[in-house]
Amino acid sequence: MSWSLYALMVVPLLAVALTLLDGWRLARAATLVAGVASLALAIAIASTVRHGRVVLAAAGWLRVDSLGAVFLLATGLLYAIAGVFSIGYLAADEPHPDFPAFARRYFTLLNLFGWTMLLVPLAADFGTLWVAIELTTIVSALLVAIDRTDAALEASWKYVLIASSGLGIALLAIIVLYATGTSVLGAAYVPRFERLLAHGHGLSRDAVSLAFVLSVVGFGTKVGFVPMHTWLPDAHSEAPAPVSALLSGSLLAAAFYAILRFFQVAAAAGERAFAEHVLIVFGVVSLVAAGLFVIRQANYKRLLAYSSIEHMGIIALGVGFGAPLAVAGALLHVVTHASAKGLAFFGAGSLLRGYDTKEVEEVADAGRAMPWTGPMFLAAALSLSGLPLSGVFRSEFQIVVGGFANAQYVGVALLLVFVNLAFFGIIWHAGRMVLGRCDPTAPDGGPAVAAIARERSAWMVAGMLGCLFVSVALGVHLPGALQALLRNAEHRLVVPA
Amino acid sequence: MPILPDWAIQALQVVTILAFAPLISGIIARAEAIVQQRRGPRILQPYHDIAKLLRKQTVLPAPAGPVFRAAPYVSFAGYATIPLLIPALTNFPLPLGYEADFFGVGMIFALTSFSISIAAIDSGSPYAQLGSSRLRSFGAFNEPTVIFVTFVLALTTHTDLPYAFGATIRSAVVEVIRPSHLLMIAAFFMLVLNETGRIPIESHGSTLEFGQIEEARIAEHSGPGLAFLRWGSSVKQLLLFTIFMNVLVVPWGLAPNGRLDAVALAIALLLVKALGVGAAVVMVESSFAKLRLYKIPEFTVASFMFAVLAVVIFLFQPSFGSGHLSVFGASATIGAVVVLLLEYGMLRSPDVWEQLRLYSLGSATVAALAIATAATGRGSSELYVLGAVTIALKALLFPLGITFVLRRLGSEPRVPSALGAPSAILIAIALSSLAFIVLRPIRIGGVAALPLSALPLAVGGVLVAFELMILRPYAPSQLLGFLVLENAVSVASLVIAPGLPIILALLLLFDVLVGVLVFVVLVQYLAVERTAVRTDVLNRLTG
Repeated sequence: MSWSLYALMVVPLLAVALTLLDGWRLARAATLVAGVASLALAIAIASTVRHGRVVLAAAGWLRVDSLGAVFLLATGLLYAIAGVFSIGYLAADEPHPDFPAFARRYFTLLNLFGWTMLLVPLAADFGTLWVAIELTTIVSALLVAIDRTDAALEASWKYVLIASSGLGIALLAIIVLYATGTSVLGAAYVPRFERLLAHGHGLSRDAVSLAFVLSVVGFGTKVGFVPMHTWLPDAHSEAPAPVSALLSGSLLAAAFYAILRFFQVAAAAGERAFAEHVLIVFGVVSLVAAGLFVIRQANYKRLLAYSSIEHMGIIALGVGFGAPLAVAGALLHVVTHASAKGLAFFGAGSLLRGYDTKEVEEVADAGRAMPWTGPMFLAAALSLSGLPLSGVFRSEFQIVVGGFANAQYVGVALLLVFVNLAFFGIIWHAGRMVLGRCDPTAPDGGPAVAAIARERSAWMVAGMLGCLFVSVALGVHLPGALQALLRNAEHRLVVPA
Repeated sequence: MPILPDWAIQALQVVTILAFAPLISGIIARAEAIVQQRRGPRILQPYHDIAKLLRKQTVLPAPAGPVFRAAPYVSFAGYATIPLLIPALTNFPLPLGYEADFFGVGMIFALTSFSISIAAIDSGSPYAQLGSSRLRSFGAFNEPTVIFVTFVLALTTHTDLPYAFGATIRSAVVEVIRPSHLLMIAAFFMLVLNETGRIPIESHGSTLEFGQIEEARIAEHSGPGLAFLRWGSSVKQLLLFTIFMNVLVVPWGLAPNGRLDAVALAIALLLVKALGVGAAVVMVESSFAKLRLYKIPEFTVASFMFAVLAVVIFLFQPSFGSGHLSVFGASATIGAVVVLLLEYGMLRSPDVWEQLRLYSLGSATVAALAIATAATGRGSSELYVLGAVTIALKALLFPLGITFVLRRLGSEPRVPSALGAPSAILIAIALSSLAFIVLRPIRIGGVAALPLSALPLAVGGVLVAFELMILRPYAPSQLLGFLVLENAVSVASLVIAPGLPIILALLLLFDVLVGVLVFVVLVQYLAVERTAVRTDVLNRLTG
């Protein structure tokens, strides 16, 4: 089965090579194929490891277990759909003289970005993990800046600086962890996950706690925990919509995956309670701050970015609660959030193409002007808020029940209050955008753009339908294979090694 | 050989210093002139000046009162008292040597300076008062520096008698290169330059009004008063040199007993040591320019910074190591201190080329640490490869590449700063101390190649790198801040994780390389699109 890991590494790189050739049509086709192939491979790998099997490759440098497979699924899903969506999204720019070069640049970077994100769950040791996440930062920074507008450059600079600094702290965390490991594993060793887990009880608890806190602060910068989140609204709102979807849906989760690996080592060393505590603190702070910011937003992509911060807080809370049901819920949330956020950002991208503005005030009556995008954007908003029929409801419900099971009443109460607050904010804005009528007799004339908005591309609609299908499917019925995968992954986090 | 009684040696200390002080001043002035390729004054000129002034009449300014008339004699009396209290000729405390400790010596210095200052105010001359007020303001950080230097002495010997510290240094030669000791020497030397009115604080002996501090204060005195003031200032200089050499740097050559030949040798060696410091002063005076007046606080804060680092490193030494000092350990800690100090240098530097040079030096230091660790057998030979790659990549490729890009963009090299240099350095000092305090209770465990006291220095380096990124809203500076952060983390990894497999270390370096490429691309975009690489204009996206 290790061929699948090699294939997963090679396919996006092949697509990159093809995009470098002349011809942007070839590039977009290659991206589409690469995305779908990656998704297929991710599903294949997930079904292989769902009962606890671990797949190794490249002399042990690549490794996948059930925990990594969850994040592979989230990435593969959005990579595939982003490929579909991008075709439609870029179509509006086709008349532009610079378009062929721009399109090739875009698809090259998109495939490279997908490759780096697929690498993250495949890393077998902490060093490679760090390198992979740093690579994702670097490539996505170029993607955020691809429009070369003032705002995009500002967002990109903030992103790359803050995220890289955070990763510098994360590197310090890895070094501290490595140093404690030398007492049981010898002066020179490769810091592989299983080795550190196996010897976890012999590690210095002080140092492991320090390493964990540093990793939460460091990798948490990339996850978007408050107060290290300041780059996130800018980067996610200025990037092209498919890239935003990948950033919000997959990359934040991949960074959290790194924290989970540290969490495993901390738990093995006996510091589980402390680690859960830290995660709960960061989760609550992120949830509260993001919930408050969501209420008052002028830019609907920034609104979705703050919603991402809120959902990352929810995932952190889920793992922090510690009950098996909550942890499984948190891991399910990774996949459901990916689908719902993907739907939301794709909808935002379609609205942007339709209305040519990112302001909430300027968009109105999308339900009638854009009969596919509008309703699906509203569905995305409802889905993100955790209403039943969406997968997000299922995962949040699991987290809440798990929280009650572990007597984490304060955390659960805060979770419920601020999820509702965010619901209010998102629905308020999304509702106005989709259902609000534009009134030509209003003093300011009402949004004039509504008159000429229409569906721009079937590809975009197709992408959104794909995301909607996944989101609702996960809400209505959780496939048994996925359940087994989640159970095994949760097992790795909850049960001491 | 006759043994001199204690009271005789005590008196001899005072006489020696009072008698030879003008000679030292004369030699320094002559040497400086020769270095600057002038003929210069006679070596004995100060004696002639004092004699001439003693013969002259005293002219008092109209508002002057008894304070003005008494000040020269009060200050000279103070200067004459201090030789009783410091180890000038002997390494055992003489009877009156117990009358005051290091703080007492400092207070007597303060008394003399205070009397001259209020005499200047009493004279009613605006020029003299200007000198007084300047001395008070710019001297603000001299007192904390002295206090922190005293702290190091006190922490080492558990007393603050100057005599006791010399014994500690003499006990083992390796004590001389103890990192806190070297930092203390640096701090005190800068203090000496400050107190004796040398470049870069002011031009010694010149009368240009714009920069004068010391000279301005005594401008209204004349006749015997002025003679004693000038004599007193050269005595002050010799006293500071004596304290510097006999207490801090070279406490050898002092008479161990009262024998005449030992004491005579001690006198001769005292002059030699004073001339040694004088040589260093001449080199500094001839190599640097006088600082502009409002930049003087930068200098004083820098000396404060050395003193604080000396205390912090010493204070936390037992928590971080066995307390046993080896040559490699001391040198490695000094290496880590150098990396941190270069970051401080980047913090205060006003232009980006200097920052790039300092970064290059810092990277070379990190590479040297790696190579030294391998060479002394404390790390595997893979560290040679790491050191070589570090030099090639971080010390050469990055700075040259960034310089090339910036020159092509033609961007403004002046780096804007949110805070002035002294404030930024003070914050950096606080952050470095914080790193020590936070790391103290943590037991990392494991194998350490460099002494563990280098770890808080590295973590302090990380914090100062963040400060650099925050305070310098200029894209290339922020990029350098990130690179410096990587350097600090490399030092940390050398300390506690020297065995990190070479393949991972190289992978990390490669990653940093790619990161720098992307940063540079973005800087180019910023420069082209916004015609400036100032990042404090990037404030469109809020909320």
